[in-house]
Amino acid sequence: MPVTRRSFLLGSSVLMAHAAIGDVMAAFAAAPRKATFLSDAELATLRALVDVILPATDSPAASAADTHYFIDLALPACASAEAVTAFRAGLEALGRQGFAGLAPDAQASLLKARVDADLKLPYDQSFFRILKDYTLTGYFMSEIGATQALAYERVPGGYEGDRPLQPGQKAWALQ
Amino acid sequence: MTSQVFDAIVVGSGISGGWAAKELCEKGLKTLVLERGRSVRHVTDYDTALKDPWQLPYNLKASNEDRKKQPVQSTLYLYDQSTKQFFVDDVANPYVQDRPFTWYRGYQVGGRSLMWARHVFRYSDLDFEANLREGVGVDWPIRYADLAPWYEKVERFIGASGENSGLPQLPDQVLQPPFDMNALEKHLRAGIAKAYGDRKLICSATAVLSREHKGRGPCQGRNQCARGCPFSAYFSSNGVTLPAAAATGNLTLQPDAIAHSLVYDEARKRVTGVRYVDAHTKQVAEVSARLVFLCASTLNSTAVLLNSRSSRFPDGLGNDSGQLGRNLMDHHNGAGATATYSGLRDRYYRGRRSTSMYIPRFRNVTTREAKFTRGYAYEVYSWRGHWTRGVDGPGFGADFKNEITRPGEWTLYTEGYGETLPNPDNRMWVSKDETDAFGLPKIAVSMAYGPNEAAMETQMRDDVVEMLEKAGLENVQGFLRETVPGFVIHEMGTARMGRDPKTSVLNAHNQVHAAPNVFVTDGSCMPSSPPQNPSLTYMALTARAADHAAAQLKSGAL
Repeated sequence: MPVTRRSFLLGSSVLMAHAAIGDVMAAFAAAPRKATFLSDAELATLRALVDVILPATDSPAASAADTHYFIDLALPACASAEAVTAFRAGLEALGRQGFAGLAPDAQASLLKARVDADLKLPYDQSFFRILKDYTLTGYFMSEIGATQALAYERVPGGYEGDRPLQPGQKAWALQ
Repeated sequence: MTSQVFDAIVVGSGISGGWAAKELCEKGLKTLVLERGRSVRHVTDYDTALKDPWQLPYNLKASNEDRKKQPVQSTLYLYDQSTKQFFVDDVANPYVQDRPFTWYRGYQVGGRSLMWARHVFRYSDLDFEANLREGVGVDWPIRYADLAPWYEKVERFIGASGENSGLPQLPDQVLQPPFDMNALEKHLRAGIAKAYGDRKLICSATAVLSREHKGRGPCQGRNQCARGCPFSAYFSSNGVTLPAAAATGNLTLQPDAIAHSLVYDEARKRVTGVRYVDAHTKQVAEVSARLVFLCASTLNSTAVLLNSRSSRFPDGLGNDSGQLGRNLMDHHNGAGATATYSGLRDRYYRGRRSTSMYIPRFRNVTTREAKFTRGYAYEVYSWRGHWTRGVDGPGFGADFKNEITRPGEWTLYTEGYGETLPNPDNRMWVSKDETDAFGLPKIAVSMAYGPNEAAMETQMRDDVVEMLEKAGLENVQGFLRETVPGFVIHEMGTARMGRDPKTSVLNAHNQVHAAPNVFVTDGSCMPSSPPQNPSLTYMALTARAADHAAAQLKSGAL
C-alpha cells in the first residue's frame, strides 16, 4: 500500500476535525449517571445481572462499562412495548428474590433456573433473550468492551485477508 | 434560476445522474441538475463517518421512533444509527404497495450512490441476446460491442478493484488488484476449482479502491462505506462525478427541487423543459433546456414521464407503446446456504473488507436447462465467529465471555442473485386521485416473481449446497425463502429500450422514440435483468447516451 496507516492518519485533516468528538464523549462518560427509565431497585438488579452474564475476566465486567445504564436508555427507545413489559417483569421477579444481594454462585443458579424456559419463548416475551441481546450489545459496542474485551480499530488502514492468528488475539469488535 | 436557459437538465444526482452531469458538462453544455433531496457535501456532511459505535445513539441499534418514520427503510441490512440519515422518510414520501414491494430510497444529492453495495460487473452478449433468443420481452437494441468501450471508459474513471474471471459470460474489466481472500475463501476457491471445470470463486469487481486512484483512496478497511467515505475510496456521485462536473464551470446543482413532469410544446413537437416543485415552498416552477436526461431512479423517472400528459401524449410522454410503467424487474435472492469450517484455526485477518467473493453464473451458459431459462451468480461472505454468536443461546459467565471474545469457527454465508424475466403485468403507475405532500401523484407498484424465478431458486440452493460440500465445508445448510420484490434494490425496467417504437419506450441511445431530446438512462431503460449487479451498465449507458446527445445537439439533429 503506497500510504502507510500511520502517515495517513497523521496527514488527515478529516480525522483531526473529527478527533474533537472523542473529547465530548469523554466528558459525557465522566458525568454522574442516573437511571432515566428503570427504578433504582430495577437498576440494582440489572447491574448485578449484567455482571453475571459478562463478569470481570481479563477485561472489565459489564457494569464497569455502564452496560446497565445503556439498557436503561436503549430498552425503552428500541424494544417493543411487549418486550419492555416482559423485561421489567423478569427484573421484578429476580428483585423479589433479593438477586442483587446474593453471592455470585447463587445469582448464577437463579438465572440458570429460568434459561431453558425463556429460550423457548418468542424474543419479545423472553426475559433472558432480551437481557442477553442488550447486555452484549451494550458491552461489546462500548469503548471498554470493544477495545479491551475485543480488538477494535476505527480505521484499520487497509485489509490483510489471511495472516497467522496472533498470540492472545481477541476477536474483532466489528466485521 | 428559471430565467436562465440551460443546454441540458439532468433529473437526479445518483449514479446515473452524476454521470450524465459529468459527461454533458465536459462536452461544454450548461447543465442543470435537479435533485429532489437535500444537499450532501462530500466528506463535510458525512456526520457519522468516523464515529465509534459508542458515540452513536443506542450503540447503533435502530429505535422505535426510527422504525416509525422509516418502516420500509429500517428493514434493510444496512440501516442503523450510522446510515439512517441517507434513507428516505417513508411517512413523508408515501407510495402504494398494490402488492408488497420494499422500495429503498435515498433522496439527497448523490442519491443511493452513497449507500450502494458497489459491485460493478459487465454484461455479455449472453445477456444482451437472451430476449431475442428466447422470444421473451423485446430484443436489446444494442450488443456488447456497442457498450464495451463505455464500460472501459467508466471503469478507468471510477476506479474499481477485483478479479477478472476469464469467463465469456462475465467479460474482463479494467480493474485494480483485488482485495485479499481470507483463509476459508482460499480453501473454497481451491475446492471449487478442483470439483468443477466451469465454476470459480473470484473477488467481486467492486467500486472500492485497493490502490490510490486520481487522488482518491485507497480503502482504509473500515467497511462503513454507507456512512460516506472520508477517504473517497469508493465511488459515489458526491465524491467523483459531481466534482468533475463542477470543475468544468458548467454545472448548476439545484437540491430540493422535485421534478414533476416534462414540459411538452405541442406546436414545436418537443420537450422544452422540466416542471418541478420546490421542496420547501411547494411552489411549482419551470425551467427550460434543449435536452433532458431522466436519471431519477427507475420508478421516479417513469413517474415523471407518466405525469407528463398532453394531447399528443394522453397516457404519459413517450407511452405510444403502452409499455411505460410495465415490465418492472428486480433480482431475486431467496436461495443460498450457510456453512462452517472447523479447520484453519490458526488463520485470521485484519481490517474490514467492504466487498464479497463471487461465483459467476454457470447455468444456461453453454447448455440449456430444462426447468428454467437465464441464470444466477452468488455473493459469498465469510468470517470467523465474533461476539454476536453469543447473543442467542443459553451461555453466560466467565467461560462464556472468554469464548465469545476470541475468534470463533469459520462461518460462511452465501446467497444467489437470479435474473427475473420481464412481464408486462409487473408494473408501476401513478395514482389518478392520490397525491403526496408535494402534490405529486402517488406511485403504485405491483410486482410478483413468476414460475421461472421459482424454478431457478430451487436449483440456486441445490447448486451452492453441492459446491460447499464438495469443497469440504461442514454443517452446510441450504435455504429457500421468499424474496419481496424491491428487496435486492435492483428495481429496473418500466421504460424499456427496444428496436420498435410500437413495443418499447426508448431507442438504442436511450432516447424516447417520439421525443428524442429526452434521454432516460437509469434502471428504467432495461429490457431484461441479467444477474450481474446493474449499476456499471447504467453508468456506461449514460456516458454513451450523453455522447450521442452532445453530438446530435452539435449537428443540429436535436
